[in-house]
Amino acid sequence: MNRWSLADLSPQALRLLALLAVLVLVILFFGTQIERYYSARMFNRVSTSVAIMALIATGQALVVLTRNIDLSVGSIVGFTAYAVGGVVTRYPDLNPMFAIGAAVLAGAGFGAFNGLFVAYARIPAIIVTLGTLALFRTFLVEYSDAKSIITADLPEWILALPRTNLFSIGNLDIRLTFAVAVVVVVAVHLAVTRLRIGRKFYAVGSNPEAAVVAGINSRRIIFLAFVACGALSGLAGFMFLSRFGNITVVAGLGFELKSVAAVVVGGINIFGGSGTVIGAMIGAVLVGLLDASLVRLPYMSEFWREAILGFLILAAVAIDSVLMRRLFSWRQSRKERLQAQAPFESDGRGG
Amino acid sequence: MSKYFGMTEALKDFSLDIHPGEIHAVVGENGAGKSTMIKIMTGVYQCSSGEMLVHGERVLFHGTGDAQARGIAAIYQEPMVFPDLDVAENIFLSHRGLGPFVNWRRTYADARKLIARLGVTLEEDRNANGLTLAEQQTVEIARALSLDVKVLIMDEPTSSLSAHEVEKLMGIARTLRAEGVAIIFISHRLEEVFQIADRVTVLRDGRLISTRPIGDVTADGLISEMVGRDAGEFFARSERKKRDKLALDVRDLTLDGVFSSVSFNVNEGEVLCFAGLVGARRTDVALSIFGVRPADSGEIAVGSEIVRIRSPQDAMKLGIAYVSEDRRKLGLAMTMPVVANATLATLRKYMSKIGLLNRGREIEMALRYRRRLNIRTPDVDREVGDLSGGNQQKVMLAKWLDAEPRILIFDEPTRGIDVGAKAEVHSIINGLAESGVAIIVISSDLPEVLALADRIVVMREGQQMGVFDGETATQESIIRLATGQSSNEVAA
Amino acid sequence: MKIASKLCVSVLLSAGLATGAAADAVMAKKGMEADMVLLPKFLGILVFDQANTGAQEAHAELENPGELLFVGPTPENSVAGQIEIVTTAATQSRDAVMISNNSGDQIVPAAQAAKDAGAKVVTWDSPIPSGEAEDVFVAQVDFASIGEVMAEMAHSILDGEGQMAVLSATPDAANQNAWIAAMQTALEAEKYAGVELVDIVYGDDQSEKSYDRALALVDKYPDLGVIMAPTTVGIQAAAKAMQDEGLCDEVAVSGLGLPSEMLSYTLNGCAEEFALWSFVDLGYLTYYTAYLMATGQISGEIGESFVAGRMGEYTIEKDPTRENGNRVLMGPFTVYNMDNIEAAAAE
Repeated sequence: MNRWSLADLSPQALRLLALLAVLVLVILFFGTQIERYYSARMFNRVSTSVAIMALIATGQALVVLTRNIDLSVGSIVGFTAYAVGGVVTRYPDLNPMFAIGAAVLAGAGFGAFNGLFVAYARIPAIIVTLGTLALFRTFLVEYSDAKSIITADLPEWILALPRTNLFSIGNLDIRLTFAVAVVVVVAVHLAVTRLRIGRKFYAVGSNPEAAVVAGINSRRIIFLAFVACGALSGLAGFMFLSRFGNITVVAGLGFELKSVAAVVVGGINIFGGSGTVIGAMIGAVLVGLLDASLVRLPYMSEFWREAILGFLILAAVAIDSVLMRRLFSWRQSRKERLQAQAPFESDGRGG
Repeated sequence: MSKYFGMTEALKDFSLDIHPGEIHAVVGENGAGKSTMIKIMTGVYQCSSGEMLVHGERVLFHGTGDAQARGIAAIYQEPMVFPDLDVAENIFLSHRGLGPFVNWRRTYADARKLIARLGVTLEEDRNANGLTLAEQQTVEIARALSLDVKVLIMDEPTSSLSAHEVEKLMGIARTLRAEGVAIIFISHRLEEVFQIADRVTVLRDGRLISTRPIGDVTADGLISEMVGRDAGEFFARSERKKRDKLALDVRDLTLDGVFSSVSFNVNEGEVLCFAGLVGARRTDVALSIFGVRPADSGEIAVGSEIVRIRSPQDAMKLGIAYVSEDRRKLGLAMTMPVVANATLATLRKYMSKIGLLNRGREIEMALRYRRRLNIRTPDVDREVGDLSGGNQQKVMLAKWLDAEPRILIFDEPTRGIDVGAKAEVHSIINGLAESGVAIIVISSDLPEVLALADRIVVMREGQQMGVFDGETATQESIIRLATGQSSNEVAA
Repeated sequence: MKIASKLCVSVLLSAGLATGAAADAVMAKKGMEADMVLLPKFLGILVFDQANTGAQEAHAELENPGELLFVGPTPENSVAGQIEIVTTAATQSRDAVMISNNSGDQIVPAAQAAKDAGAKVVTWDSPIPSGEAEDVFVAQVDFASIGEVMAEMAHSILDGEGQMAVLSATPDAANQNAWIAAMQTALEAEKYAGVELVDIVYGDDQSEKSYDRALALVDKYPDLGVIMAPTTVGIQAAAKAMQDEGLCDEVAVSGLGLPSEMLSYTLNGCAEEFALWSFVDLGYLTYYTAYLMATGQISGEIGESFVAGRMGEYTIEKDPTRENGNRVLMGPFTVYNMDNIEAAAAE
């Protein structure tokens, strides 16, 4: 085996590398602009706030991979946060695992609703989920009867969750919620890359008709993508409840666009078929970091921040794609040079 | 007079000159650099060194618009028309300098004039989605003419056309030549090259091999220049021993409004070819056997057992595989790597005991097929969309060979791929048949049909016209049946 | 809640209608028909439902044979939804539309259309900033006094010296902006010289955004002493953020909050002191005002007085917080702390 080189990395790995480089650039830049930027506190702020979005972005990633989109995730988060909050308010002695399971199941139910319409009734996802975006929110308004979930009524274990520290590296706290999000994202990533069904997600998104011809039940795959996205949004809804405590009917408003931004920044093709779940997670971190950094900039006007956030997200995507193209063509020319030296028959791996 | 010097990774020290009123053929295997050449000429790519002259003037194209402004346009194998617009709208779509308003009366009148100039009949107000491929090409050519084209590049324009349509297209090309347009004609069908070209240029591995007047070359000479070796026996029939064990028996298969009463059978180790013109509904028959669009009535028996095939999964379970003609639509997941495409239909084989995919074994499989089918890709993690057409075809083939089917349906297996690759595909088909696989080949390429087939089914507009014995059939007899010029004479 | 009392003498004083001399307050004549629409910023927020409770109480009390509709947009559609509902009310010829305006001046064309169709446009909680197309605004409390109370609470929490930041709702919420402006005016007084207002940020009345903004404030201003949130959602989110991050000792949270929602934070010291008025009363008074105008018993001129049932006598006056526009001032409000919050939360 020759010595290891960057050119041996797979395209997906290169893509992640480009993304991480952008992340580092962002951190370096804000480090010069914001006092006390490289602090345990800042790490803590970003990691805890990203935990929820990372879960939603993961779900969104699965749906986008299949060439669909789920705009109802924010409403699902809001509804599950509220509904589970209501249940534990009424039954404070409920087993925590049951509460979490209920959130996941409720989310999966909403996802199944979306999935039925998209996969089996063949209505475009953007139309279905635009509808359910409003529909699920309206369910919530009706269900809530204009009462909020109040922190004071929640059982202590839920309120303690966001404060629970799993372990610390130096003075960097790894909070339980962040760790859970990372574990879930990694698990989904492994499932998508290493399970048969994961490959089918990509195939359906890349070329739905070819996937059918290859013997894949594409409707079932799309349905499952929505169910998984709903379930992950449900879990995010539970984490939302424990973090913010006070749940009104506007909970989770706007999460759909943030999650789509995270997914796109994370290198997932909006037309499906390529990208990685880990990428979506890094995308969520990048968007969260930009947001958290901008609100801490001393000279940033409140009215311009949203516009600048949008601009920075675009810039990140642009830099990422330029960087990636550079890496790709460099890698290709390198491979071709190697191949020119070796006889064509050799596989380039062993020899 | 135009002159091109190009240099990229795919095209090295290449130069070519084209004169007004000339048809200049460019031939070469897939991946020889023809597409790169077109993309440089039309401004899609910029050459990394070298220069390009139009009428003696040095030009630099930054985009297709620049090329169009200089009168250079291209039409492709798969025409690009907008299905919801009508013919005239498609022709004048990209026009500049007409002001913000559309003068509809003039648009239609001009469209009518342009079409007349090409010597064809086509209603200018017809919706493009009902047009045949040939008609769509006519629209594209008319579009190029409307832009006052000086150099027209035709990239594999005939590969999807019937013989009659090819004749028409040749007529159009001659008309344009007479008007002083320079035409670059790219084709895998050498007989067409000899029919129409004034000069011919051979490309191989991104290098210019030769440019000569057509009178100075022979078909065998061109082929050996293209592949870099002697033409040999590309289209020789190989002898197979006959087996009598029935593999697939289809009786009275009907899909209402598409095809009716199709009946045929294939034995193990036999190659059955479906011949016919475009629109004969052969692909629909195949898709229906494969369960993509199940038939309304009729029987299918695999071995001796009557089966119901409601989905591709059902078909695959019965050992049937279908290699599509339409790589882009039904064949490959273009954004996925070569390896993932190759294992897509047989993922189950690459699972470990606990249900995880074994990437090492997947890669091993892809490398094995890369060697066996001579797939040219630097690595198997490359997205399949980055490969040339012929290599994509081979990836698709790998996918289905890996399923080890007992019945294998090939739909236009060699369309748009070069002579060398064609011979490779034929030898693969022959090898499979020898190993006992029952093979159905749908092909519009008659020499190919005659070289491969043990028996030939001829279809026309959804009707089965007859069955020939492969040894005794001739091109003429097949064409007569396929075009409906004679009655149902069944020869075998 | 107090119970409605003397209401039977209304017929006696029905003479001086339109001119409305300040001296004789109009007593409401019951049983006149008027179709009413009560429009909150959006549905699903507790305080707006409390306002509806008050309005329903007045509706029953006045024996109005017409309809009282409580309709509002969904949260994600607040601005456009409000405009749509007002437009619909105009086409259905409602007699009065009561709006808690969340759409700034964008609501004006729709409100004007409603007026042209014969409806009375009464705003409550949050007015139309320009005062155009509005008959009268029912103000919960005097905006200037809200500003003073917030300044005073900050002053007492900071012991006269320190930094304060404001966590508001949306940047175009007219009421919050007016209160903040009033607070800034109040802070100019000699007494508050030691209180420094360092920043104003917006949490859009969303828990998650308010929570993150509160943390950002703490990071940005290490010496911050108090976060003032004039919104019930913001104050709660800020208190939770401080509690979760163990910052209650360093940064106090105050502003406008609902006692039932703030109880635990007041008891554990994260939000020692805050203020609010009764939204039930606000809905009740708004209904009375709108009913009297829709039935022609008052005209909405400055100086007109009327009796609003159990709440007593009110006078229409020029709104001093806006260039144009009239108001009915409800006031006063209650400051909650350790001493009275438990009783209020139990209500």
